[in-house]
Amino acid sequence: MASFNLKVLSCDRLFYKGECDALIYPAQDGGTEILANHTQMTAQVSVGELRYKVPGDPEWKIAVVTGGIVKVGHNDVTVIVYSAEKPEEIDAERARKAKEAAEAEMREKQSKVDQRISEDSFNRAVQRIKSAGR
Amino acid sequence: MPSAKEIKSSMRGIRDTMKITKAMYMISTIKMRKAKHQLEATEPYFYGLQEAMSSILYNFPSVKSRYFGEVVGEEEESEGKKDSGSKKKGYIVLSSDRGLAGAYNQNVFKVVENLVEHMDKDEYELMVVGELGLHTLTGRGYNVNQDFHYTATEPSLERARIVAENLILDYYNGIYDELHVIYTRMINSMETTVEIQQLLPLKKTDFIDMENEKIPRHLRSAESGKLGANEGDAQEYLIEPSPQVVLEEIVRNYVTGYIYGTLVQATACEENSRMTAMKSATDNAKDMLNVLTVQYNRVRQAAITQQITEISSGARALKKNKTKS
Repeated sequence: MASFNLKVLSCDRLFYKGECDALIYPAQDGGTEILANHTQMTAQVSVGELRYKVPGDPEWKIAVVTGGIVKVGHNDVTVIVYSAEKPEEIDAERARKAKEAAEAEMREKQSKVDQRISEDSFNRAVQRIKSAGR
Repeated sequence: MPSAKEIKSSMRGIRDTMKITKAMYMISTIKMRKAKHQLEATEPYFYGLQEAMSSILYNFPSVKSRYFGEVVGEEEESEGKKDSGSKKKGYIVLSSDRGLAGAYNQNVFKVVENLVEHMDKDEYELMVVGELGLHTLTGRGYNVNQDFHYTATEPSLERARIVAENLILDYYNGIYDELHVIYTRMINSMETTVEIQQLLPLKKTDFIDMENEKIPRHLRSAESGKLGANEGDAQEYLIEPSPQVVLEEIVRNYVTGYIYGTLVQATACEENSRMTAMKSATDNAKDMLNVLTVQYNRVRQAAITQQITEISSGARALKKNKTKS
């Protein structure tokens, strides 16, 4: 299987750099897969699970990402997101607390802006809990 | 001359203070190293975003966005009204939560003072990060946004995101016409400087070379150089869901990343100047101790000499009396 270069950059570190056979990123309308020799593209990444396959390993590797873009060049893919975490790195307890806090915030009467921020953090927390439970 | 007892007690005081400054010096050293490390980790993210931004601007020159100070679509008619109102500039000021960091905060305040001096109160608004800066600048009577309340210690991505999202929305809704950030930057490990950086609107010229319709050399990856400049080629370049959406996503990421970067940078500088301040405090304490030790020895020696003179003269007087009788 042909492979391509993958770089996953998050705000606070270089999450992954190396060969990759296939990549599925969360788009607004569902997961989208990128294989080798994909055409040039730039797309939005939403909150969700980023999955990638490293050559020689049949298992999908999972990263929880929170919003950003993916840039596809000639067999050179860069994912730039706010944050990227492995499921085992996620602090489920913290995520649960964040979820509760966001829920409480959403119940309160809020301005539109605050509502959106709370919803975003709610989504992030839910995604983290979901992935951490594996 | 103070008595030996007095000198001794002041020496003890200095020694105790020195212990504290020494400990603070060590802590700052560790914290600074951590912040520097954090800063290095943000760099690839930053360059990646810059590259993505320039390639979109290059491939889709017709994309317009408020984030670049351009007027979009239906807003054009209301624009006349907007221009008549005064332009409001938002300044994010990064100061520290705690003092004892040498001239770190003072340098920031000096820059703010010079900047704000010539502006009316409704022309600007300061958003201050850090307890110390918030109190000082409010106390000086500047127009400080009191709802903006964030701590400067241990910058986290989470906080940077909240700050950035609020500011971007405020900018988008036209509350601010310009957003700047005032922060301290490291020149090298010894020198720091306070800088004012414009966050929004972004300048397209920072990402593409307008005149030659080229991506600046340092932002060009090997393949993108081959693409032509006309729209025809851009058709082959996929973008989902639309250039507008992706560009705005990048801008949001970029601004958040930038704010995070400046927060980390400022923390590194704060700890650096605290480190230097504590080092010179420790050195001063050592000097003072040296002077006091000499002084103490002198006083003690003087007291001993005096006692000996008294005893020996007393003894001699007694002897004289004995021989007389």
